[in-house]
Amino acid sequence: MSASDQRSAMLLLSPMMAVLLAVAVFPVLYSLWTSLFDIKLTRMNNVSFVGLGNYVTTFLDPMFWAAVGRTAWFTVSAVLAIMVIATLMALLLNQEFRGRRILSTALLIPWAIPYVVDGLMWKWIYDSGYGALNGLLLQLGLIKHYLVWLGDTHKTLALICSAFVWKEVPLATILLLVTLKSVSPDLYAAARVDGANVWGRLLHVTLPAMRPGFMLVMIYEAMMAVRHFDLFFILTEGGPADASHVLSWHIYVETFRNLSFGTGAAIAYLLALATFGMSYAIIRLLGKRL
Amino acid sequence: MAQIEFLEVAKRYANGHVALQNLNLQIRDKEFLVLLGPSGCGKSTTLNMIAGLEEVTEGSLRFDSTAVNGLPAHKRDVAMVFQSYALYPHKSVYENIAFGLRMRKHPKNEIDTRVRSAARDLEIEHLLDRLPGQLSGGQRQRVALGRAMVRQPAVFLMDEPLSNLDATLRISMRASIKALHQSMQTTFVYVTHDQAEALTLADRIVVMRQGVVQQIGTPDDIYERPANTFVANFLGNPPINFIDGVVQDDGSEPCFRSGELSLAFDEQLRAELAGCAGKKVTIGIRAEDIDEDATYADCQLTGEITSLLPVGSDQFIGLQNGGRVMFFRVGKERSYRVGDRLSVSVNPRRMHIFDQASGVNLRANAS
Amino acid sequence: MSSALLAKRLALLVGSVLMLMYVLGPVAWLLSSSLQREADITSIPPHWIPSPPTFSSFKAIIDAGTGAVSTDGNASFVPSTAEYLLPALRNSLIVASAVVVLNLLVSIPAAYAMAKIRYIGRDMSVYFMLATRVIPDIALIVPFFLFVRKLGLLDNLGALIITYLAITIPFSVFMLLSYFESLPDELDKAARVDGCSRVQALIKIFLPLAQPSLVAVILFTFLTSWNEFLFALMFTQTAASQTVPIIVASFTSDFTTSFSFINAAGVVAIVPPVIIAVVFERYIVSGLSAGAVKG
Repeated sequence: MSASDQRSAMLLLSPMMAVLLAVAVFPVLYSLWTSLFDIKLTRMNNVSFVGLGNYVTTFLDPMFWAAVGRTAWFTVSAVLAIMVIATLMALLLNQEFRGRRILSTALLIPWAIPYVVDGLMWKWIYDSGYGALNGLLLQLGLIKHYLVWLGDTHKTLALICSAFVWKEVPLATILLLVTLKSVSPDLYAAARVDGANVWGRLLHVTLPAMRPGFMLVMIYEAMMAVRHFDLFFILTEGGPADASHVLSWHIYVETFRNLSFGTGAAIAYLLALATFGMSYAIIRLLGKRL
Repeated sequence: MAQIEFLEVAKRYANGHVALQNLNLQIRDKEFLVLLGPSGCGKSTTLNMIAGLEEVTEGSLRFDSTAVNGLPAHKRDVAMVFQSYALYPHKSVYENIAFGLRMRKHPKNEIDTRVRSAARDLEIEHLLDRLPGQLSGGQRQRVALGRAMVRQPAVFLMDEPLSNLDATLRISMRASIKALHQSMQTTFVYVTHDQAEALTLADRIVVMRQGVVQQIGTPDDIYERPANTFVANFLGNPPINFIDGVVQDDGSEPCFRSGELSLAFDEQLRAELAGCAGKKVTIGIRAEDIDEDATYADCQLTGEITSLLPVGSDQFIGLQNGGRVMFFRVGKERSYRVGDRLSVSVNPRRMHIFDQASGVNLRANAS
Repeated sequence: MSSALLAKRLALLVGSVLMLMYVLGPVAWLLSSSLQREADITSIPPHWIPSPPTFSSFKAIIDAGTGAVSTDGNASFVPSTAEYLLPALRNSLIVASAVVVLNLLVSIPAAYAMAKIRYIGRDMSVYFMLATRVIPDIALIVPFFLFVRKLGLLDNLGALIITYLAITIPFSVFMLLSYFESLPDELDKAARVDGCSRVQALIKIFLPLAQPSLVAVILFTFLTSWNEFLFALMFTQTAASQTVPIIVASFTSDFTTSFSFINAAGVVAIVPPVIIAVVFERYIVSGLSAGAVKG
């Protein structure tokens, strides 16, 4: 392109670059730097270089690996649930019927509310003393007396996952709906002429055409799930008995409760690398045709 | 004053693709120049360079002897009509036409006068308040013309402006554009891939192929004396008929031979090709130069009719002879059937002859 | 009506009802709980529909904010941080609005350049921009915290604004970029031939045409800023700068709080984002569709 075009482009880009370099790049590099030191907020004057020591400590810590396991479980469950529910909803919304507008507007509400309120809402529903879940199940005759939900270590992670899925589904649905809408009606017409019924068309035209959408949703939601923090703070603070002590919580505890900034930064950096690797892996493995 | 000159201009992209090479072209003031060629030949690139929308990689582009290589588009005095019209969807027709004048800070009343006058000439005055989305294709095209006209530019550029119109409209618009050129007395540079359009509109035509200029000349020059097989093939409807063969000298005079077929040359060719026995050539015969009567005795072909298409008042015949099919037109008076054998003759003076390997026209007076 | 059509209609109805229940159910319960007295919602099983609905919890919120003493029976269960809810609303509003404005100022030129100018380093700059979001926020909290602390900006709305700006820029630029790309190149060329410099072409031609995308960007940026929790938690310490999510979170950890109060606070916290989302609903889909799946 011409020199004046290049100049214009640089001018137009400079504000964005300035902000991103200062606020996004610098912290990432600084984070890496911090992770190489033994830094504790309690004794900021006594900081020593430990190289990869923090990383070693982390890898040797069983708590870390337990957190990794919980995070993995959470992520996989969330992504699966989101994909299934969002696909069903997108298929529904793709049909033409009266009142569809109401549905798509209603869909936006979970997306619009903050995670804090989402957490608060579900905490109230899951409450073991007065919660709506207990009340509903009791009225339906499915349970004899109120159960413990969030406090039950077997159920904790799944319940948090449900609250997460509930709030993530709208965006996933919209993204899938957009993919659905881009399918040419000619394909459906051709399939009908070829003799495919509703299920046939679904299987052979709709779902294959949604592949790029599935990919996008999977990557995005997996990344969101791995790094999610808010619900863990509001609902259970990593408990009970570490049942919901996932990686993001681990980092928080290490940094702000144990005040060990060095190790906190190290774990955070590992999480960052893992996220990077994960999205790369998903793209390579499943994304030949994006 | 608008004389445009390309001196050894080349256009190369970052990925190595060469869009134009060795372009040397002088566009005269007030002429109607058509850049003609298939897609990818570099004609739009050339146009964009005149507009300042694309950079000249090598060489020099001059307006009236001043180099304008680095001058950005908004500082040049050119106006352009785009293939897709590129009307601003959110502006009314009036505003679309006025925009260029507003950007160049013309006084308000002058803008109003010019816009309304152009609208009147183009018969779109009643559409001035509408949005482009509410107009038909033909109407949008006229707005695009209006937008360029009001600027009264030194150079008027048009990039396949008629290709999105339906056939009848296209033909009437050609006449309007020609008339516009007469009245505006400005340099017009027009890009098209339609050879009929080029032949109708141009003062001169530049035929291009894959970034290289094949021939520059008046429509007559290009049609009657094509520089090579590509040009001969590109112009003319139906396309010219080619026959590969050799120059044969059977002792008396050189003639053309291909398999069983033997065709005589006219005096000029006989003189030029004396002593070229065995030379591989391709001859080209236009459909209109093929006669169903035996007018030229030593230039006859006989063949079997393989296809017969009625076209209005004529018939389109495909005649197979020795493995090749030749196309020509005859009147509807005689009725033929597929499978009939037919003898036709060719006017040797109207025969084109090209070097078989290079495709270059062998006649001495070819341009 | 044929049986196939009837079956389809039925399926659609059932599907719609299920979807509506799933999506709105929890929120409806939140709303219902906020409109009831404590005794009603803590009964076993709870009263599902407020009869009669009461605004006492909402009144308590306003009273807490103005320092008035509530004369209602609920008063003793109001959390200690309740008085900060209304100021938090103000803080959230300031931050979100500032981020939206700054975001637009920064993202629009960048997106235009990336979409319409083939400059050297274009692809790299797009990847770089997207890559800044791959790192999870938690990975950034340590350096951010130390940095902000060093600058003395802890407990300052400015820290939040600049952070949220960095978080929301990549998505905004990406959406605008895709939308600009879908606008014909020839429009840009026509504008330049008509006498616009690149910047003028952006302002006069592309911006007016990019409305759906702009609205989607504003929406997304506003909501992200309003709802953000982690960074707000780290950077803010007093009511001077605490935003709505932080205050609401503080309610849930206070064990003496009445449930109806918390639910009322929740409702107050979600009213602005929900209203905005509902009003601009149609722009979200169109703004995303030009952006999303080209990915």
